[in-house]
Amino acid sequence: MKKTLVLFAHPYFEHSTTNVILLECYDGMDNVTFRDLYEDYPDFHIQPFRERKRIIEYDRIIFHFPIIWFGLPPLLKLWIDEVFDMRWVSENGINILSGKDALIITSVGGREANYTKEGRYETEVEELLSGLKVSLKVNDINLKKIHVIYNADNLTDEQLNVICEELSQTLKIK
Amino acid sequence: MMENSIAMTILIFLGAAIIMVPLGKKLGLSSVIGYILGGILIGPFCLQLTGRDVGDIMHASELGVIMLLFLVGLELEPQKLWQIRKRILGLGLSQMLLSIAGILIVFYLAGFGLKKSFIIALCFAMSSTAIVLQTLKEKNLFRTVSGESSFSILLFQDIAVIPILALLPFISKSEKALSQAGHEKVLIQYLPEWLQPFTVIFAVLALILLGRYIFTPFLRFVSMSGLNELLTAASLFLVIGVSELMISVDLSPALGAFIAGVMLANSEFRHELESAIDPFKGLLLAVFFVSVGATINFDIIISKPFFIFSAAFIVLAVKAIVLFGIGKYYRMNNEQSFFLAFALSQVGEFAFVLVNFAASLYLIDYQANGELMAIVAITMCISPLLLIFKEKVLDKRFIRQKNEENVELGIIKQRKVIIVGFGFFGSTVGRLLKANGIRSTVLDNDPDRVALLRSNGFNVYYGDATKPALLRSAGIEEAELLVLCLDDPEKNKFLVDYAKENYPGLKIFVRAKNRLDAYEFINKDVNYIYRETLGTAVDMAVDILQENGMRKYTARRMGKRFMLIDKAMTRRLAKEKDKDMITFTLRESLEREAELLALDSISFEENHWSGDDEEEDK
Repeated sequence: MKKTLVLFAHPYFEHSTTNVILLECYDGMDNVTFRDLYEDYPDFHIQPFRERKRIIEYDRIIFHFPIIWFGLPPLLKLWIDEVFDMRWVSENGINILSGKDALIITSVGGREANYTKEGRYETEVEELLSGLKVSLKVNDINLKKIHVIYNADNLTDEQLNVICEELSQTLKIK
Repeated sequence: MMENSIAMTILIFLGAAIIMVPLGKKLGLSSVIGYILGGILIGPFCLQLTGRDVGDIMHASELGVIMLLFLVGLELEPQKLWQIRKRILGLGLSQMLLSIAGILIVFYLAGFGLKKSFIIALCFAMSSTAIVLQTLKEKNLFRTVSGESSFSILLFQDIAVIPILALLPFISKSEKALSQAGHEKVLIQYLPEWLQPFTVIFAVLALILLGRYIFTPFLRFVSMSGLNELLTAASLFLVIGVSELMISVDLSPALGAFIAGVMLANSEFRHELESAIDPFKGLLLAVFFVSVGATINFDIIISKPFFIFSAAFIVLAVKAIVLFGIGKYYRMNNEQSFFLAFALSQVGEFAFVLVNFAASLYLIDYQANGELMAIVAITMCISPLLLIFKEKVLDKRFIRQKNEENVELGIIKQRKVIIVGFGFFGSTVGRLLKANGIRSTVLDNDPDRVALLRSNGFNVYYGDATKPALLRSAGIEEAELLVLCLDDPEKNKFLVDYAKENYPGLKIFVRAKNRLDAYEFINKDVNYIYRETLGTAVDMAVDILQENGMRKYTARRMGKRFMLIDKAMTRRLAKEKDKDMITFTLRESLEREAELLALDSISFEENHWSGDDEEEDK
């Protein structure tokens, strides 16, 4: 198992029904450091130096968050803004992120049919994540998979079990 | 037997207690047994140290039982009493009725008269509040199902004592008894004949009114003086005064003390009263138990050993079976039911009172009195052994079930947060907690402020929190968070030391005046330290930065950053300077400030990678 950093961002976690279960998938995994950003930075004062020093140690970053109003939770966006450094992607800069890989695990309230070109929002989830995707790409981070959980507000226990199983498979990606 | 002066007698009594109680503790026995054993030791059948006035001493120390009831009353706010009424009534009433019925039948069949059996059953149905509460406390079982059920039953019994005490004189039809009891009536004689049966109601009403409108203002008035010993005097005055008042209208002083307690349970002086009365109660009860031991008549036991011991075991068995049945009926598992059965099966200290009272009413004769006392004492000595047996032998079989024990009954909910000091600082803390529905117990020693806050619905108690007794009665043993907001840093430090030493599990939040105080708290291993001069000063500086043209967002971030660095620096300096903390001149603290300023300029540099400036706390 690669040394993994999970960056979990959920501004309304106390009202969560799905993510609270999904997080159990990380239990007992080796080499995984789980970080709940909204617990770590309740006042949105991110400490970039500390974050940068830490991030070097990991081979994989997992971004785990619900999509809110078709975008990233603000604290996760801020985390990226503060921690990622433009100098790393300049001509002869050394990029500490280079060569790492990443997974994106995200949940949306709407049904899968809504997130299609013909659907209600006329936009796919992957398009909503394009900013994050480009950021990873320019930093030479290899995005292994985007794992989307649809209809996250209305899942039965059985459906949740299936989704957890699927997520566990995703987490096993080499 | 020799005659002793009072001081000498007290000396002997206390000496016996001091020697025997720690010995008993070593053997895993509760303190009550230790006292009784001490009493036996100094009694006429062993060392013969006590004089003829043991009976008088016992009578005098019954005030301890009255104080115990006052304290029980203090624990019970009227609303709380109301909330758990069903449980108390269900568990308590069934225990009392079934035990009385069982014991009545046994003694009646054994050839005692109906009246006598009934009185014996009344006395023996009681369990020992002192022994059981002590056990629950020692084993930390208050918040378990069995612990809460035990408490409910004891409570019902405590209340049941009152009507029983009132009932006994009516059972005794002896004119002599009534006339003898009559000579103490003072006030009642001024009432017209037809009103006299209503004295109970009058007295209770009078006490409720007194409690509501007189006691609290009276205590408030006394507390204004700011003298602790005056409040202790006032507490004693209250309890003894109420019991004397009740005696003068021919009612049980215990009833009076209990009602007075309940009426004061809602007042801000509750914990202060508890801590003031508690030592007296403890001392008097100790003397009471020792005198009980000293009056056990071994001649009677020796003359009828078979009868005494078999009676004791039968009483234990009947009570245990009843309790086990009740436990099962209330859907407790075997382990809980066994605990209930064994913990509450002894006959309690109220039986001593009741038996003596019954004897004074000529309901039972001297011989029977001695026998009954012996039986009571024997059951008291055996039940702790039963609990040890349960722990050592039976529990092994119940380990599987133990996990299922859930605390869903939740009748006794202790508040988890204690705030000490409710001035401008503490009240801000308390208000934010209250706005979010967190109930906290607040201690403050400004009587005016306490009265004001209470009228605004805060749960505030008056008292000096640096007295451990007050903290204990405020429930520090069950508390999880201790919030220290006192003005005086020395008092906060004292409390930190006290809490760290006695309640290592407690999370401590402390207000620090300045960096120098913070150093001390850090070195005392406190994790949550709030410097009152830090946040506000930084806010001010942030606004000044804005006025100088810095963007507001940037200024705020700089402020945040400064706070983090400052906190980390404080921690580091505290550790470094641990040794030479003793003397602290103005000059030295200036040097320290200079050191800080120098460090600031390093760590504010952009891309400062190497330092662990923001490492320690975020």
